[in-house]
Amino acid sequence: MPIYNTPLLRIDSQETRRYAGLMKAKDFDESRIEDACQDARLLAAPRGIWQVYDYDCQKQEIKADPPCIIEGSKIGAHLAGCDKVILLAATVGDEIEETVTQRFANGEYSSSVLLDAAATTAVEQIANSIEKAIKTKAAAKGYGMRWRFSPGYGDWPIEQQPELIRLSHAADIGISLSSAMMLLPRKSITAIIGLYKEDKSKPDAAKAQHHKGCAACEKLDCPARKI
Amino acid sequence: MIHIFDGAMGTMLQAGGLKPGACPELMNIEQPEVVKSIHKAYLDAGATVIETNTFGASSLKLDHYGLADRVTELNAAAVKIAKEAAGTKAKVAGSMGPTGRFVVPLGDLDFEDAYDCFAEQAKALADAGADYLIIETCIDIQEMRAALLAAKENAPGVPVICQLSYSEDGRTVTGTDPQSAAIILEALGADIIGVNCSLGPEQLVPIVRTLAENCSVPISVQPNAGMPYLENGETVFPMGPEDFGRWGTKLLEAGATFLGGCCGTTPAHIAALAATLKDATEPTRAKHAKRLWLASRSKAVCIDKKLPTRLIGERINPTGRKKLAAEIREGSFLSVKKEAVNQVKAGAHLLDVNMGVGGIDQTAAMKKAVTEIAQLTDAPLAIDTGDSAALEAGLRAYPGRALINSVSYEPERIAKFLPLAKKYGAAILCLPITEDGVPKTAEDRLEVMRKIITAAKEQGLDDGDFLLDALVMTVSADKNACYEVLITLQMYRERFGYPTTMGLSNISFGLPNRPLINSTFFAMCLAAGLDAPIMNPYDESMQRALKASAALLGDDPNGLAFSQDEANLSVPKKAAVAKESNLAALPAIKQAVIDGEKDEIVELVARAVAEGHSANEITENALTAAMTDIGEDFGAGRMFLPQVLLSAETMRAAFNKLKELLPASSEADKGTVVIATVKGDVHDLGKNITGALLANSGFRLIDLGKDVDSTEIVKAAIESKADIVGLCALMTTTMVQIDKVIADLKAAGCPAKVMVGGAAVTQDYADSAGADAYAADGVQAVKLAKDMLGIE
Repeated sequence: MPIYNTPLLRIDSQETRRYAGLMKAKDFDESRIEDACQDARLLAAPRGIWQVYDYDCQKQEIKADPPCIIEGSKIGAHLAGCDKVILLAATVGDEIEETVTQRFANGEYSSSVLLDAAATTAVEQIANSIEKAIKTKAAAKGYGMRWRFSPGYGDWPIEQQPELIRLSHAADIGISLSSAMMLLPRKSITAIIGLYKEDKSKPDAAKAQHHKGCAACEKLDCPARKI
Repeated sequence: MIHIFDGAMGTMLQAGGLKPGACPELMNIEQPEVVKSIHKAYLDAGATVIETNTFGASSLKLDHYGLADRVTELNAAAVKIAKEAAGTKAKVAGSMGPTGRFVVPLGDLDFEDAYDCFAEQAKALADAGADYLIIETCIDIQEMRAALLAAKENAPGVPVICQLSYSEDGRTVTGTDPQSAAIILEALGADIIGVNCSLGPEQLVPIVRTLAENCSVPISVQPNAGMPYLENGETVFPMGPEDFGRWGTKLLEAGATFLGGCCGTTPAHIAALAATLKDATEPTRAKHAKRLWLASRSKAVCIDKKLPTRLIGERINPTGRKKLAAEIREGSFLSVKKEAVNQVKAGAHLLDVNMGVGGIDQTAAMKKAVTEIAQLTDAPLAIDTGDSAALEAGLRAYPGRALINSVSYEPERIAKFLPLAKKYGAAILCLPITEDGVPKTAEDRLEVMRKIITAAKEQGLDDGDFLLDALVMTVSADKNACYEVLITLQMYRERFGYPTTMGLSNISFGLPNRPLINSTFFAMCLAAGLDAPIMNPYDESMQRALKASAALLGDDPNGLAFSQDEANLSVPKKAAVAKESNLAALPAIKQAVIDGEKDEIVELVARAVAEGHSANEITENALTAAMTDIGEDFGAGRMFLPQVLLSAETMRAAFNKLKELLPASSEADKGTVVIATVKGDVHDLGKNITGALLANSGFRLIDLGKDVDSTEIVKAAIESKADIVGLCALMTTTMVQIDKVIADLKAAGCPAKVMVGGAAVTQDYADSAGADAYAADGVQAVKLAKDMLGIE
């Protein structure tokens, strides 16, 4: 299924600010953030890919060949009622990461950290535009979409990353996994999205089964926390 | 004339016996009577144009069913069935749906493979006698371009309907807005432009209106019957025939004259639509004079005498720029991309792309440059080359409507460039040069220009396709050079009415103070009718002249923008609010560190040394004092990490200057810290930050990097007689390595204190692993390090 390398015509400076932990900073020079966003656009090699599978929500089974059983009760609840799942992967590539490291080594600490934040924003944007592409197709068939969920969220063990790599075909866009289950390049995402048939007779079916985004995360002192 | 399309095919096929997972197009062979009965139902409902059952009958789609070799057969059968059903009372449109893949660089489908796939299908449909081809439900303008080019070349004479699908935000999934689509597709030769699927009629009204306002060809529309949902296990489209039919009036008023339905519509919907439009009169579309529009994938730009000046950025050009040329030769496009982004930031509305580097494959370079720039910016491009192969490669690769720079009245340009302009729907920059060179007078230039335009119109180009160059010569060689340009600009406007352009800087060649000459000349040309200069957008004197001219010529009404521009205020606002900085040297250093003023600090340190302050005084009373304040502000949530890091950078610059001025007295002596990200972990930014803060707080830092084995950490700690070992792990999967390192350190008898941190690490975890301290962040790490070693 499709490879979709979304153009990065802009990188959201507000999100970059948030990932840099600057949400509450009043007088931080905006041009530094703008520069980081621009550098990230130049250095990023945006790539994305996704695959669609049938899904058995009772068994938490992705019907691939060979099939994959998803572990974790929170992800199980999140995908309840879904009969298809999308496995997606996105990355901004290696070069941006090398520049982050190089800048820090050169003593350009703040621009390194801001570029790192812009890269995070960029990879999230790529995943968002993949979601948008899927949403159009899914909606035309009457499907609704659960928000994307990645290993490491809730009790979904990160040890299932190899399965996400396999099922999303992430290797086709240059994503691999370290022995400690870390994605390489570092600024990469793998995730699952559940598709459910919107049923007007059961209005609650559309609701996600638990908290989303920052609200779902236990790291209360995270500098990028929105709430 | 108002035409009524049919409605959905897929659901009707399912009702007629299509099995789930089976190929719908195979029904054309296996159950033609079912397909024919669907056509008949729509014809009975009043359809005047019916679509063949070939939406997925391209080789790339049929390949999913192992039927890729039956394209011609399936398409021909479909046309035959439709024609038999339609007889003489309706037309048959051969349906071509998308491949399901994105075209390079958005995806992995090569443009040429997409072209070949559509060419095969278009030819099959046309050979079988389709009256129209309808390319529909596309979400990628580049795929649509491939399909339209393929249709035009392989089904000559058959009118082509081009329909994109838009999302709720009014753009296609890949970012194309209806205005850009209308401009790109009309120029590329679409006979009818429209929209189908994804949305209901209500949401499509404004899209139809925008399409109608931006092209002169007929508009088509096929909405869904609303957005689907599930009820008792069935997919339901909410809009009934009556409701759907009523929207026909609005869609007609918005400009559509080909109307039908997409997903969820039935013969009843089409009958209702036909009934609504039965006695309707065709709307009259407002006729506009054709203006010069260019477009990228997601943005359209108009160059016109009634609009403000548009800048064409000239910097993506290796001529006379050795470094850029060398990079392009080596295949690196980083500087090209930087120039693209920076010029747009500096105010360029369009970008000229020139790959004129000797000894390279210009065709490949142009294709790559155009592809990369189009992924990075939405400013439309001008393809600047004298090589027709490079020009075609650039035009083919560009997912928009480009400008060709340039077409002169030289036989080869006329013979080769004009057909390419027509084929790819590009506009042309016309240069009044002949084989004999540059005509000197305005009259002569006008005459050459007239010949170029005549030749172009013979090739099918029209008003709205021309940008006229006034041709700038050097005033030091010809005293009339400026005068002739001004007359030429005025005459272009009077005689042709087309917008004008030129490269300006040639005027001042050989003169001193070229910026003054250039900007003065620029102002004169703007007054004489220059619409789109090709220039360096970074040039401040030119930008100032442009802003002043805009105020004078009414583009910036009453000079409002001009008077709000800081650069024009007698006391710049920044200076007015600048801080007093007559502090003594040490407080000034402290303040500079806190504010992260890296550029000021070096001078301040030099001043302090010159005033007789010792290195120790400067370090303790200014630098360390600043760091203490910063630590407090950070802890209290008044200061944030990037700001702390700016301060650290400033500290670093201060220490470096101190070392340079007083080499003997400023060694880091607070203690030695060995720091590492543990084995298996590749995330090291947090560790780097902590290391930088420690190093700039007077600690001797030994940074072992990331993914470091326990043995190596222990060895380094013992050999360097470390006072502190700092360990970092980001994830729960790598955190366990911390335990191992601590155990190994103890087993080796290493006396160093151990401090740990990282996203997943907590105080509890640190305690259980036997660490001496847990640092939640870099600032805290510095404080803890000092505490552990008993430093004030």
